[in-house]
Amino acid sequence: MSDFLDEIEAAVPALRRYARALTRDIDRADDLVQDCLERAIRKRALWRPTAPLQAWLFRMLLNLYRNDLRSRRRRGDHVPYDEMPIEPSTPPAQPGRLALAEVDRAMVQLADDQREALLLVVVEGQSYADAANILEIPIGTLMSRLGRARAALRVLTGTADEPRLRSVK
Amino acid sequence: MNAGEDKRPFEVTEATLLAYVDGQLSPGERAAVETWLLEHPDKAADVGAWQRQNAALSTLYAPILAEPVPPRLDPRRIAAGVSGARWDWTRVAAAAVVLLAIGSGAGWFMRTATWQEEPASERLIDGAVSAHALYVKETRHAVEVAADDKAHLVTWLSNRVGHPIGAPDLTAQGFQLVGGRLLPPPAETGMGPAAQLMYQDGASTRVTVFITTAADGDGKPYVKYQDHGLEAYYWANDQITCTVVGDLPEAQMQTVAKGVYQQLTWRPDPGGRS
Repeated sequence: MSDFLDEIEAAVPALRRYARALTRDIDRADDLVQDCLERAIRKRALWRPTAPLQAWLFRMLLNLYRNDLRSRRRRGDHVPYDEMPIEPSTPPAQPGRLALAEVDRAMVQLADDQREALLLVVVEGQSYADAANILEIPIGTLMSRLGRARAALRVLTGTADEPRLRSVK
Repeated sequence: MNAGEDKRPFEVTEATLLAYVDGQLSPGERAAVETWLLEHPDKAADVGAWQRQNAALSTLYAPILAEPVPPRLDPRRIAAGVSGARWDWTRVAAAAVVLLAIGSGAGWFMRTATWQEEPASERLIDGAVSAHALYVKETRHAVEVAADDKAHLVTWLSNRVGHPIGAPDLTAQGFQLVGGRLLPPPAETGMGPAAQLMYQDGASTRVTVFITTAADGDGKPYVKYQDHGLEAYYWANDQITCTVVGDLPEAQMQTVAKGVYQQLTWRPDPGGRS
């Protein structure tokens, strides 16, 4: 039991970060993490030690987040990527560097599924296999979401048309 | 966009480049990609842009990791609270019949509002209750396939739901099968279609049974739910979920639900749990 709790404890900062990046609200994020930890502890018997505990926790957190989101939104709010209104912003003054505020704004505009995937892989450092498992999608789907997320981010941060940089000389 | 038109042993595609940027490649693969990028400056520019995205995202969210964790997120504290609770799910096998009386409908909704318990079972119960309320009022169109064509009904629903569904015999409980229909899965459960079976007694009081294939091990084993005079009994095993809905007196409702439970929730593979 204490090993289990130790492992959970070690995962808490990353869970908080993921929840915060998704919700952009510290209290809401911590509420989700608390729910997630309670569920994990109550359902300890359902955890298969063959799967990484962290991925299991992320999956539970994500389900709670989606549920929460659903109850906050009216139905019909999911817009497929192709129809998503993307407003290109102006290119940053210094090409090649991304302003954090710009990226922060762009993340808000990403489609939910793309944001969930991108944060898991890039920020939380999950392997493609674990991320696909957490999101309950095939790896191919995950990769196409990541590809679309990256393309959308480039448009949203105004770096899609930035001059091609020279590769390493 | 067609990377890798040259037939080299290590083919670099868009997916390879994404995996490179996301640190998913082995050292050997990384080296091969880096060599390849030297000859493909346009792709190297894409990779550079993605790497800047990664750097920006990591920087953006890094400070959260350094924050002190609030005490309410201490797993030991939570565990102490959980073990003091009235029930312990960890001891309940997936198909165990543990009656959990939620109490009033208001109680149920408060639970969902405060701790977002068990989304799959909630949604299934909602779906079952809505479908019940909609179709029990119908006289001529209560079912799609009537009980006089029971063999077809059972085959059809089993095929569409994806699991053998025998229509339980509730004669002993005083109910005859009226028939059944196929329903779309409750919204956003990601599940397959549902089957609804309808029964009625001599006074034309109806109960419905709502069946889907199993949720992903995330459901409550057994839940009783009441709302506006309707009672729903939900349970799940590793193969199906089943919700019985009706507005019978509680004792009678329990008898009916028990009859359905005994006939539907078989476990051909009892291994793996003890």
